[in-house]
Amino acid sequence: MNTEAIIVENITRGYGGPPVLQGLDFRVSRGSIYGFLGRNGSGKTTALKTLAGLIRPESGSVRVLGGDPWTFGAGERQRVGYVSEKQSLPPLGRVAKLVKFCAQLYPAWDHELCDGLLNRFQIPLKSRVAKLSLGQQRLLAFVLALAPRPDVLLLDEPAANLDVVARREFLDQILELIRDGKKSVLFSTHILSDVERVADRVGILSDGKLVVDESLDDLKESVRQLRFFGFQGPPPAEIPGALRVRRDKNELMAVLRLNGPDAPAQIAARLGCQVEDNPLSLEDLFIELTRNSR
Amino acid sequence: MLIALHPSSGVPVYRQVLQQVRERILGGQLKRGEQLPSVRELSAMAGINPLTAAKVYQFLEAEGLVETRRGQGTFVAGDAKKLSAASRRAEIEPALRQLVAEAIHLGIERGDLQRLVAATFESIKSGENL
Repeated sequence: MNTEAIIVENITRGYGGPPVLQGLDFRVSRGSIYGFLGRNGSGKTTALKTLAGLIRPESGSVRVLGGDPWTFGAGERQRVGYVSEKQSLPPLGRVAKLVKFCAQLYPAWDHELCDGLLNRFQIPLKSRVAKLSLGQQRLLAFVLALAPRPDVLLLDEPAANLDVVARREFLDQILELIRDGKKSVLFSTHILSDVERVADRVGILSDGKLVVDESLDDLKESVRQLRFFGFQGPPPAEIPGALRVRRDKNELMAVLRLNGPDAPAQIAARLGCQVEDNPLSLEDLFIELTRNSR
Repeated sequence: MLIALHPSSGVPVYRQVLQQVRERILGGQLKRGEQLPSVRELSAMAGINPLTAAKVYQFLEAEGLVETRRGQGTFVAGDAKKLSAASRRAEIEPALRQLVAEAIHLGIERGDLQRLVAATFESIKSGENL
């Protein structure tokens, strides 16, 4: 079995104006949860739409479960779940009717899971879909995407409009989905703590390309904030390779990508000063890495 | 096993879980030969990615603290105590570095720091501060 559920190679795509995606490249393995980050307008939604087979890249190649999503037949399409950013649920009256309609479309529909989740999320079957709150509509769309137990689940800002309790439930559910090690989830979000909680890999989209595509653990261990102090003479004008340097009198604070646990001490020895090594949260990392871009 | 997680700290989740399981083994709360939860169970209990849970066990195994028995699961290593001197040092290393860095920063001399450490060690051990 192919270990990569998603393979995106050098795709470009625009909407007439300047290209939104400019050589996007990444892979998502089976059993993985990939957190897809980027500022507003960075192209996350466009990337997810190409993976869902809703739009076609102008160049490059997209493979989902080994095939091109643009040419997927009904059977292949059923193995990929997708919840768009602006999910509009069909106005089919009550929740029960919509659920029944969807269940008929999918031979693999898990009725027990679906009923259990609706119950857990407190979405009454008798409610009219149009009367549900935005958060509940979002959860309903998520349940409908999850019930067929898709091999790949694509979620565009799934946590928007969810309260913290519902969000935690939602995260537990995507963990539950991938627990057999065969399924994959790709989700875009602005809520970085959600990514920190469940994702094993993270991509940061900036100016149509990924500026980060690596394991979240590696990212946190390699990009650090170092404070250099106790210089003998005046502090150096710059720190080679630093993503950002702040300075005040006789100290420097630099964000650096390090190549090992001994790197801070080595740099400090070279600069003739002392060093304090501080980890960065994903939020701080995100800001440092995307500060000057879209 | 109950795990306290702080996903938004800069410390990777696998390190947080690793440290908490390691403490339980070194501190004797998990006894030698005791079975640990499976990767799936740990992932469900701690609310973490299964790949992260698997990584925790890989590290514990490399440190000699646990052993995987084919088809049975993961267990606290029989000789965890014996093998753990290096692990104990690895465990305390970050706190030690932090302490020494602060001492240097505050201009505390090496001899003074050693005396302070010795005095604190005695005071905690004799239960004064507990």
